[in-house]
Amino acid sequence: MATFAKINRKNIKHCLLVALQVTGFCGFAWLCQTLAIYINSPIPGSVIGLTILLLLLSLKLIPERSVSLASKWLIGELLLFFIPPVVAVIKYQALLEHFGAVLIGAMLAASTCVLVGTAFTVDKLFKFEHKMHLKRQAAKTVQHVDQTMAVAEKVLTLPKTSPTDLAPKATEERQAA
Amino acid sequence: MSHSIVGLFCLVLTLIGYFASKALYKRQRKVWLAPIIIAPMAILITVVSLKIDVSDYFSYTHYLAAMLAPATIAFALPIYRERELIKQYPLTLSLGVICGLLLGLGSSWLLVKLTNLPPELSHSLMVRSVSTPFAIEATGSFGGIPELTAMLVLLTGVIGMLICEPLFKVANIKSAIAKGVALGASAHGAGAAKASEIGRQEGVIASLTMIFTGIAMVLTAPLFAALLH
Repeated sequence: MATFAKINRKNIKHCLLVALQVTGFCGFAWLCQTLAIYINSPIPGSVIGLTILLLLLSLKLIPERSVSLASKWLIGELLLFFIPPVVAVIKYQALLEHFGAVLIGAMLAASTCVLVGTAFTVDKLFKFEHKMHLKRQAAKTVQHVDQTMAVAEKVLTLPKTSPTDLAPKATEERQAA
Repeated sequence: MSHSIVGLFCLVLTLIGYFASKALYKRQRKVWLAPIIIAPMAILITVVSLKIDVSDYFSYTHYLAAMLAPATIAFALPIYRERELIKQYPLTLSLGVICGLLLGLGSSWLLVKLTNLPPELSHSLMVRSVSTPFAIEATGSFGGIPELTAMLVLLTGVIGMLICEPLFKVANIKSAIAKGVALGASAHGAGAAKASEIGRQEGVIASLTMIFTGIAMVLTAPLFAALLH
């Protein structure tokens, strides 16, 4: 019973935190959209907002955890947000009944082209870039080994300091103190 | 008065339909039960059979649609988190995005040329391969209609999700990055969800590609619209 209450309190706290962050996101989105309209920007407010948030995160001006919960929720429930516009197509019911079959057939063909074309191109490109990546990595390793060798050589060729050389210094320091 | 009650009912209906379909899919993992297919269908059928007016349906649910803007901004976090991956394969990712964007636009354009669809449909088709929030922003440049665009985007996602695996087999595509980029560029959110089912890396790459393709579409739509008209 006690653990249940504890979990419950934790859940409520989590939900409140998500709600708070999401509200923050909404406010920020509204600000960006107002700004976009105000400056007559060709780029929509939401994309401006995305860029600003990415900059803020990259410059470490805001911590990742302050946006992570809301970000996860908003992206996770994306489908919910575009159900209303999809349902609104009943306005165009007649149009879709007439052209539905042609549309789906044509879209199937087009999507096949995009999927296969992109996958094929990327597959070839990736093999090339992965090779480059491995080469870079190998070069870095070689450089690293060279540096280590150089340091090692320096250490090994250093004149040996015997404990007796250090002893007088220590006594001087003690006297000074 | 009665209008606002119908509006509220529609909001509740949408929420219940959505969360119920999600819960159902958790129990029964069948492709045709995926929330992206079943939730819009169930809600659409209910609204049509109850003869609810679109403006009534939209009176409260437009708040849900308004959440697309903050959701777009939220995409900044996955980009930030996967910055190491982006630094590792900048060429593959950027050329993959460009390739996906051009093929998506090109294939839609060709499709419009070959069939004689009415302008409302053909203009809304152009941006069909990018994620909904970006597509709705970009479709205006081509003269598309947001509602039709949202539906065509959804259909494209479902098609991509269903045909990807046999296609990858036939075309002999094995690398995670190629599968991820292709799914993200051609089938946006649905593709990214499918990619995460194939593997974690595929999922991350597909989400990144989806976001970048969406941004690229929004930024270049006015240019392409001027070119193609």
